[in-house]
Amino acid sequence: MKRAPWLVVAGAVAGFLGVAGLHKTAPPGTLASPGTRPASHASRTAQPGRARPEGTAAATPAPSTTGSAAAPAGPVTALGAMENYGYGQLATRVSITGGRITGIAVPVLRTAEQYSQQLAVQVIPTLRSEVLAAQSARINAVSGATYTSQAYALSVQAALDKAHFG
Amino acid sequence: MSASPVAFEGPDSPSTRKRKPARHVRAAAPPRPALARASLVLAGGGLGAVSALTVTGESASQLAARGGVLTFAGSLTGMAGSYLALIMVLLVSRIPFVERVAGLDGLIRLHRLIAPWPITLLLAHALFITAGYAEAARTGAWHEAGTLLTGYPDVLTATLGLGVMAAIGLISVRAVRRRLPRETWWLIHLGMYLALAISFAHIIVLGPAFVGHPLTQLVWSLAWAGTAGLVLLYRVGLPVVRSVRHRLRVVEVRPEGPGVVSLICTGRRLDRLAVSGGQFFCWRFLARGMWWQAHPYSLSALPQPPYLRLTVKAVGDHSSALASIRPGTKIAIEGPYGAFTRYAQRRPRALLVAAGIGVTALRSLLEDLPRGSAPVVLLRASRPADLVLGKEVRELVRHRRGTIHELVGSREEAAIDEVSLPRLVPDLDHRDLYVCGPEGFVISIVGTARNLGIPDEAIHHEAFAL
Repeated sequence: MKRAPWLVVAGAVAGFLGVAGLHKTAPPGTLASPGTRPASHASRTAQPGRARPEGTAAATPAPSTTGSAAAPAGPVTALGAMENYGYGQLATRVSITGGRITGIAVPVLRTAEQYSQQLAVQVIPTLRSEVLAAQSARINAVSGATYTSQAYALSVQAALDKAHFG
Repeated sequence: MSASPVAFEGPDSPSTRKRKPARHVRAAAPPRPALARASLVLAGGGLGAVSALTVTGESASQLAARGGVLTFAGSLTGMAGSYLALIMVLLVSRIPFVERVAGLDGLIRLHRLIAPWPITLLLAHALFITAGYAEAARTGAWHEAGTLLTGYPDVLTATLGLGVMAAIGLISVRAVRRRLPRETWWLIHLGMYLALAISFAHIIVLGPAFVGHPLTQLVWSLAWAGTAGLVLLYRVGLPVVRSVRHRLRVVEVRPEGPGVVSLICTGRRLDRLAVSGGQFFCWRFLARGMWWQAHPYSLSALPQPPYLRLTVKAVGDHSSALASIRPGTKIAIEGPYGAFTRYAQRRPRALLVAAGIGVTALRSLLEDLPRGSAPVVLLRASRPADLVLGKEVRELVRHRRGTIHELVGSREEAAIDEVSLPRLVPDLDHRDLYVCGPEGFVISIVGTARNLGIPDEAIHHEAFAL
């Protein structure tokens, strides 16, 4: 069959456009980068630098904002910089109530693959309680997740700077 | 329509030809090129789809991150490489509607042509991912390789799989392969299935296009499961069913010429075995020392229930052993295979050329050509004694009002070249060329035909390689 190469090429173009088109028309969040969830309306506070979270970006709701719901001053929140750490990228959002760090959420967590995602999900609560305990971004890295820990600390520090904390 | 006045002689009818009136023998269904074309488009579509999945799964910021470009290159090569590996398996899975159009030998040629790509792409995938992760983690490549092997799920087995693939790829390089016995190479080559199986898991667990995309995971898994199913169905299931149904066994070994024997076999319900002239089976003789290997040999006549005949020249160990095979030996078959049939013909008439033992496929193809089709037949041999089955071929040609030229002598004396071929066959422009014989001969004739302006779609060949 003389036309065989052309048939393959035609199929390849059609296949590429088909899947790419499906991706475009899909509702945001369904076919985006790994581990994404629908964007939360909350991530409007402050935009981090170069790596902006896109419309389809993950916005994991805050794990839980430890018992400071009705503080008199009202919570101040600041979004930290998006940190690329090789295995993925993350951004933190810090809540400060009455001069104390009361909550850290991770509205953006994107990783290249499942393994890094699992790892990050495992260590983020540990990192969060370390920051809450230390009331600063000067925390110890969780072993086995050095890069995730560094990125988390950097992002928290950026958020604290933005909120003029400490 | 192919009931022939020239029958080969069964053992019970030395020459009296007291055959039962020929029962209606099931004709092979014509090939359906449209289905094969659709498969080509589908195969291309899959490649486009996996590339698109990889590209759309990547965000600009991931690409801009440290090691992002290398990691992306790693994903792309990995996806394309494993997809091509899937195509490689499908190419040799004997899917009947594809095989009928392209022929097993054509599919194997394509399989060999593509072979370097998946292996190269997958090796590049491993290197890119290691380098990309090392850059991202700011460590050395060796350290990162260790992390990947020990810390990441299923990467160790996938790396073993890649090692096996690369090793098998090396022994399949022509220069190396020629030094190995065919059976040894074939057994080692089966290791590819194992290599693919143990590499599968890490794609689903770690591939950026799959993590968090259950639909993509499902489609990919189904594609591989389906491919495995097709291989089992058509490479194992169907041959077993046919072998059991027809229960072939050898009844007579008949010398035909120097080093050439015909094996006459009997079987049940051979009228249900749809074969086209020019096709071959892979024959597995269930005798001591032979049962574990299947060899391709053409039928040298259309089935003549309850008989089948194959004619073999002693060239290798296997074909030499066939001369002394005991009558009664049972046979398992795979096939029929091959697109070297009358259905391939594109122009009004046919020119059939064979050298040496290539006459077997020519003989059965000729028998399948309609009466009055006026074929031209060229038989080439170095000695008159090597013109085996000559009498049968002459008779078949006569019944089809054709012409036969027997070219006996050295290659120089009895050359088929750009000067002699148009002289022997003046209406070359109206004929399809079918050529069958040793590889060197086939290559030379095909080259001559192309130079004489016969288009590729009118050239059909079947080469014997050791």
